[in-house]
Amino acid sequence: MEEEDLIKRLEKISLPEIETKSHRERLKLALMKKYLPERKKAEVFNIFKKLVPAGAIAVLLFFFIFNNLNSQKYNLAKAKEIALQNNEIKNWLQQGSTIKDIKVVDGKAYVLIEPPEVKKEQRELAPDSLKSGVAFQENLTEEEKFGGALAEVNIKEKEVKNIKKLAPDAIDLIKSKKDKALDIANKSQEVQEKIPREAEVLNINVTTPKFRLSKEGDSVSVIPETETEEKASIIYQFDENRCEGKVDLNKERVEEIKCLNEINTGATKEESER
Amino acid sequence: MAEEEKKLIERAKKDPEVFSELYEKYYSQMFGYILKRVANLEIAQDVTSETFLKALKNLWQFRWRNIPFSSWLYRIANNEIVNYFRKHKAKIVPLEKISEPISNDNPEIEFIEVQEELKKHQDFLRAQRKISKLDTKYQEVIVLRFFEKKQIKEIAEILGKKEGTIKSLLHRGLEKLRKDFFETL
Repeated sequence: MEEEDLIKRLEKISLPEIETKSHRERLKLALMKKYLPERKKAEVFNIFKKLVPAGAIAVLLFFFIFNNLNSQKYNLAKAKEIALQNNEIKNWLQQGSTIKDIKVVDGKAYVLIEPPEVKKEQRELAPDSLKSGVAFQENLTEEEKFGGALAEVNIKEKEVKNIKKLAPDAIDLIKSKKDKALDIANKSQEVQEKIPREAEVLNINVTTPKFRLSKEGDSVSVIPETETEEKASIIYQFDENRCEGKVDLNKERVEEIKCLNEINTGATKEESER
Repeated sequence: MAEEEKKLIERAKKDPEVFSELYEKYYSQMFGYILKRVANLEIAQDVTSETFLKALKNLWQFRWRNIPFSSWLYRIANNEIVNYFRKHKAKIVPLEKISEPISNDNPEIEFIEVQEELKKHQDFLRAQRKISKLDTKYQEVIVLRFFEKKQIKEIAEILGKKEGTIKSLLHRGLEKLRKDFFETL
């Protein structure tokens, strides 16, 4: 028997064209009554399914941010508490220093201790200082010369691992400020008039700069604050005379020039008046 | 025609009540096809119910790709036939041996009448019995081609296969069927 014969026989088969009307009706009713609410539920479920991942992400994000902020606050508080237990730091703080900034990196906290504000009058040039050829910073006591410190705190081990004093002279920044002060003074007309060219620069001092902590990636560094009052004092010596030029580094101008002979003259007048 | 059906489906997606229109349109066609595949009234009813339930549940997923909605229903029906026999692991009970309706839900008289009507088509029942012994892939193409009178292109759309594949399946299916078909027919 060939395939064509089989095809012909199959095509000739009388097929049942029947259906059960009762099933048709019952199924329709069942679909409409029973399954439609299910379908609506499924639609709600589908919307819910779409919302769930977004909601979960939002909750996780919120939890992460909240936890991170809380953990940061906790670490900062903990670092401060540990630092305050250190005798050296305690001593500085008793003398007026303050904890300026704390940064936490990888379980370590860096605590910046700022020295107390130097009183303005202490910064003023004293005649004796001019005589000795030093400027206002040399008038300060050892405690007052304290330029701040950076303490490294291990939060896990609850101890201060290292304390590094910020010695202003050791910082390159000071040198650049001295150069800048001298440059401003050299260009000043008042200096050119009062101070001879051959005058020797005995000393240059700049005000103690203020610092802050800067966190970059996994490292923390101490950088100067940009908006602090920066002043310099230059001591000149020439022909048995000494002068001090006060320079405002922010305004880039010489504020005042005082010479020893002027001070002595002033003192003589006062004595004669008495 | 296709455009009307497309609109009807879109409406049915938004308003499930509209699905009843699609149901009325395709019930007979689907029931007829399933009956020709399973040759058992009760199984045909069960599989038809499952087919329309799945269609209703998954209508929102249906994407119009210039393939008739009926092709999608045929595909669901094919899956449900396979699922039915996988679940029940039962062979089709020959209609001749069924004396009473199995389901109490069916109105008895109608069921018996329809059953009697089916018994009249002995040629179909014998042929179907032979076809049901083939692999599902051959059953599908042979029933669609000779009992549902579908063109090769339509069968390809329903089964999601290339026309060449359908021709090949049909040829091999007929070849397998031919070997023992006429001996008992």
